[in-house]
Amino acid sequence: MKFKSLLLTGSALLLATAVSAGGYQVTLAGIKNNGMGGVGVGLSLDQAAMFYNPGALAMVRDRGVQLGANFTFARNSFVAEGSNQQRELRNSVVTPVSLFAGFGPQEGKFRAGIAVYTPFGSKLQYAEGWEGRTSLTDIDLKSIFVQPTVSYAITDQLSVGAGLVVLAYGAVNLQRDIPLPDSFGHIELDGKAETKLGFNAGIFFKPSEKLSLGINYRSKIDAQVKDGDVTFTNIPTTFQSRFPAGTKFAATLPLIATTSIGIGVMPTENLTIGFDASLANWSAYRTLRFDFTQPVNGADFSESRREYQDALTFRLGAQYKLTSGLVVRAGGSYDESPVKDGFVTPETPDNDRLGGTIGASYNFGKLGIDLSAQYIGIQKRTQTQQDLLNNGTTDRIAGTYKTNIVIPGIGLNYTF
Amino acid sequence: MLALLGLALGACQPDLEKDFEPSNGSADFTTYVAVGNSLTAGFSDNGLYLEGQQKSFPAILAQQFATVGGGEFRQPLFTETQANGSGFLKITDFVNGAPVIGRETTNLATIPNTPLFTRSAETNNQNLGVPGIRVADVTTVGYGRITPQSNAGNFNPYFERLLSGSDTKTYLQYVQERVGTVKPTFFTNWLGNNDVLGFASSGGTAAPLTPVAEFTDKYNQVVDALTTGGAKGIVITVPNVTNVPLFTTVPTATVIAQIQGTPIPAALVPVIAAQLGLPAGSPLPAGTRLGLYVRTSATGTGAVRLATANDLLLLPASSFINSAPVAPQLFPGGVGLVIPNAPAATAAALAATANAVPNSLVLDATEVTATLARTTELNAVIRASAARKGLAVFDANAFFATVAPNGIVVNGVNNTAAFVSGNLFSLDGVHPTPRGYAIVANEMIKVINSTYGAKVPTVNPNNYRGVKFP
Repeated sequence: MKFKSLLLTGSALLLATAVSAGGYQVTLAGIKNNGMGGVGVGLSLDQAAMFYNPGALAMVRDRGVQLGANFTFARNSFVAEGSNQQRELRNSVVTPVSLFAGFGPQEGKFRAGIAVYTPFGSKLQYAEGWEGRTSLTDIDLKSIFVQPTVSYAITDQLSVGAGLVVLAYGAVNLQRDIPLPDSFGHIELDGKAETKLGFNAGIFFKPSEKLSLGINYRSKIDAQVKDGDVTFTNIPTTFQSRFPAGTKFAATLPLIATTSIGIGVMPTENLTIGFDASLANWSAYRTLRFDFTQPVNGADFSESRREYQDALTFRLGAQYKLTSGLVVRAGGSYDESPVKDGFVTPETPDNDRLGGTIGASYNFGKLGIDLSAQYIGIQKRTQTQQDLLNNGTTDRIAGTYKTNIVIPGIGLNYTF
Repeated sequence: MLALLGLALGACQPDLEKDFEPSNGSADFTTYVAVGNSLTAGFSDNGLYLEGQQKSFPAILAQQFATVGGGEFRQPLFTETQANGSGFLKITDFVNGAPVIGRETTNLATIPNTPLFTRSAETNNQNLGVPGIRVADVTTVGYGRITPQSNAGNFNPYFERLLSGSDTKTYLQYVQERVGTVKPTFFTNWLGNNDVLGFASSGGTAAPLTPVAEFTDKYNQVVDALTTGGAKGIVITVPNVTNVPLFTTVPTATVIAQIQGTPIPAALVPVIAAQLGLPAGSPLPAGTRLGLYVRTSATGTGAVRLATANDLLLLPASSFINSAPVAPQLFPGGVGLVIPNAPAATAAALAATANAVPNSLVLDATEVTATLARTTELNAVIRASAARKGLAVFDANAFFATVAPNGIVVNGVNNTAAFVSGNLFSLDGVHPTPRGYAIVANEMIKVINSTYGAKVPTVNPNNYRGVKFP
């Protein structure tokens, strides 16, 4: 019963997601992991292993529940090519929430659990009247994955695990202005994704007390909107026939596969060091296409090139147990952008990212509190109009983007 | 905790502005004066009116110069109550998807029964643009003074409204007076367009192409006047006028093919046969068809010839061609008969006489060649004149040569040279819209920046409209 009520609380909170990690991928699952640069594939810290490496869940001694929230404050600045005017987002505080609950016999080889997390998302609201308004004014991309998971320790040193990943909720809201000869109209695309399935599987190997290794694969899920609503506003009468009311749209957005390996090193009983490397298969994201049920301004679809490329992420982090109740953490990450030069869009004003994190946990018996803070700097990125012309990507805007993200996180865990 | 968070967030906002700090480089933008013709005045939709003046490229430049030390820029604006100035073309309606274009006739600045406008009250004018002026006109005495003898060739009401009393000074003297008074530190000079456009837009019938020697002499005098006080500036070349919608909207080859492909109406066959002197009931000679005829001389009902794909048909030709036949003509405007092997006199008589497309609506291949050749020559003069004084040159000819076929995308919005829908050209098919002027201003800023090592910011052209819709 306790678990169920926690889950309900969780789903009420699971309303927003954030920009972090390359593209629109968000790697903000466990608050402990967040404090350590986001490592976790080669570690068995707690129930959040269900996200990082289900194979490690069987090695998590404790059974318990943990609930986490990350307050993501993104601060973006943009200056259009040739301009001197800095544009800043209207607002973009989002709070992705995660919940992990693990069960199993006290000394058994099995563990089971359920994880709820938000691995993809983006929310950005650009300044009123900004130069890229016909490309994007607002985006709100949400996804909630629910993952029932089992894990089994084959030996004391080797365990495997897998979860069925359910895209339980997915929503896209994308808005932009329509350039008309003497004014701007506005289009809003709003739709819910179909429920889709994928999987998350991993192997965890701990050859000694001082070393652990992990490998994890999260499959791709195509988030598919079949019957989204298209709403036009501010269209003058003269042009209204070109923007028919009641138009529906269909679109597919790949929530890409990720393969990770991780190493954990425990030189002493109190010190844990983790290193992760991940390959995100962003090359699955070639174009963003919307198909319309009626012609919109004369075309029954719109297509925009993305041409993302696969990208690597490296993470390094450590935790140190200061006292029996207090653990402190620090880490860093380097995240390669999947977006090529000339392909940067306002939905993901992306570039390589450098992150620094700190964190701490304190346990009061069965109850524990986890805190983390992350600072992610997305490198300054400039694309020129000539870059856009060269790549046939003039549907977006030339200029310079820079984004910093601060993500304080808080988690509560309860051990049975 | 919250205060700490606030602090972290404050520091978190990236600051890019210092990377894009405006600077004036080696130029001084304190006082700016603009010299030119209709393009400088802000002429649009075949008229000069307040909105066009407010969005003229010099007004846009001055607004951007203000970020690097530029001061006030005064223009001879029409008053609010006479905001429609000369009147202008506007879309009044759409019929079957085609725009109906009419003329604004309210709130004008015109003085009834004269060619004059209410004079500008602006005594510190810095926008010296005079619609219609050619370089050839800059030394014409009384160019702004109407007399009973004034005619369109030596009097310009747009110049008259800038002067006071019975001033008979030349445009060059006006520029000299303004330079002496205003003491500009920076100028733009976009003269020369009308030295070829007047010829081309009349189908080669009016205003001859200005001779190169005369152009060189007068152009240099204007540049000398502007640089008297050591001002820096930018001069602008003359675009190939045949790239603008006035000349490109009517697709000559398609029109010819359509007319040739139209069968001769059965009801007309006996009438034509009778005129050819054929026995009643006999068919027309094999190969008889319709053709598009154009007149080869400016006056009266002179010789006609079949149009070729090399002819540029001017925009107004679209409403002439296929207009209803006027008796005794059998065929619509521009349409006549082509009769193989008929005696020359008969063929000519039946070709198209009174209804051939007037010469003033056709720029033929020879005239196109002459226009382009002279444009090239005048642009060489402009470049040489700038080189003499170390001035920046915006090659508007090269710029429009790429925009005409390819359009131009700025900040995600596509603009083309297409009539009405393209955003760049106003309803007269020659002058830019505010969007077009903003894009031109940005191109000038790029050249100014590279020539003078300045960092003048550009504007977002999408904040300026294309053609206005009802």
